[in-house]
Amino acid sequence: MDAEPARLIIEALKEEKIDLYVTLPEEPTVSLTQAVQADPYFQCVTVASEDGGVALTAGAAIAGRRAVFVTGIAGLLKGGLALMHMGPQYGIPVFILASYRGDFGDRSGISGSKLQVFRQVGEPFLQALRIPYQIVGERRTLKRTIRDAHFMCRTSDMPAVLLLTGEVLW
Amino acid sequence: MKHSACMKLLSDLIDGETLTITNLTTNARMWSALHGERPSFYGLNMGLCLPFAVGVALAFPKRRVVAIDGDGSLIIETSSLITAADVRPANLTAVVFDNGVYAGMGETATARRTDLAKMAEGAGIAHTATLRTMEEYEKALRAALAAQEFRFLVAKVERDDTLPFTGSYIKRSERGMKESFVDALKRLPDYPGER
Repeated sequence: MDAEPARLIIEALKEEKIDLYVTLPEEPTVSLTQAVQADPYFQCVTVASEDGGVALTAGAAIAGRRAVFVTGIAGLLKGGLALMHMGPQYGIPVFILASYRGDFGDRSGISGSKLQVFRQVGEPFLQALRIPYQIVGERRTLKRTIRDAHFMCRTSDMPAVLLLTGEVLW
Repeated sequence: MKHSACMKLLSDLIDGETLTITNLTTNARMWSALHGERPSFYGLNMGLCLPFAVGVALAFPKRRVVAIDGDGSLIIETSSLITAADVRPANLTAVVFDNGVYAGMGETATARRTDLAKMAEGAGIAHTATLRTMEEYEKALRAALAAQEFRFLVAKVERDDTLPFTGSYIKRSERGMKESFVDALKRLPDYPGER
């Protein structure tokens, strides 16, 4: 991710009054995380596992604080059990931005067969949990999609996931 | 120490302003009987109690939050110790009731040779303690609940053969439990969200 989508995401998060940024740092979103860490508007929490990231973000969200969990598709799968509990079980609005590793355009050095697994499993997994998600691959729609997804998330008491790809990520 | 006696003392020391978060089974069942209508989120699945409580503590930085966890739950997600140590919310107290076994399963041991307080210390939590007597427990608990720093307590407890008090948490839907918790939070003057 280069500077422009990182800037657009930060602007959208601020417009949504999201000031708690929870992440397990990963390569595609590191520039975003670094920009957030440098911005005093945000409290940035680095978690040591994705399960914990989902749970921490859920705890903040249920208590009324606007928060986002930034991870990758592999991390989303790793945090899947926590997501199942916070979503279908409790109905807590956990807002998630995830890099869509394995989608077309990923030349980041991980073997293609490994990346393909993420692509093959990621979306069916979210569908199985009935968690609303959308793929965002265009910079021009990025801010609006973040605003719309976060609105749906906090008003429907369900997680929402945006899978970042294309010119947003690569 | 009897698990139920430790829970009862915790309940006696916590006021109605404190937010509590519990893990599954024994803790949730006893706490729902003891804690009544005070704001509490019950029964988080294995490993999720401590990180969830950290999130609640970040949303209510001026209000005491207590995580009531168990040894089996904690060891399934020990990375949460690292996160909690890093964030170290000053308003958070974690109490782990360590009975050495998984729920009421008899001799299915959780960790036979592991020191949870040392693990927490190694993760970077500055104030940890293992408590083996009621005197130690009460002293450490009172201090932790009054402290303006994150403290992590491990209470070594005996399994109660029969729980002297069990609440209705298990009979309520989890969505209903969550809604009750959210409604209670929204009535608090420092609730940070939209009412």
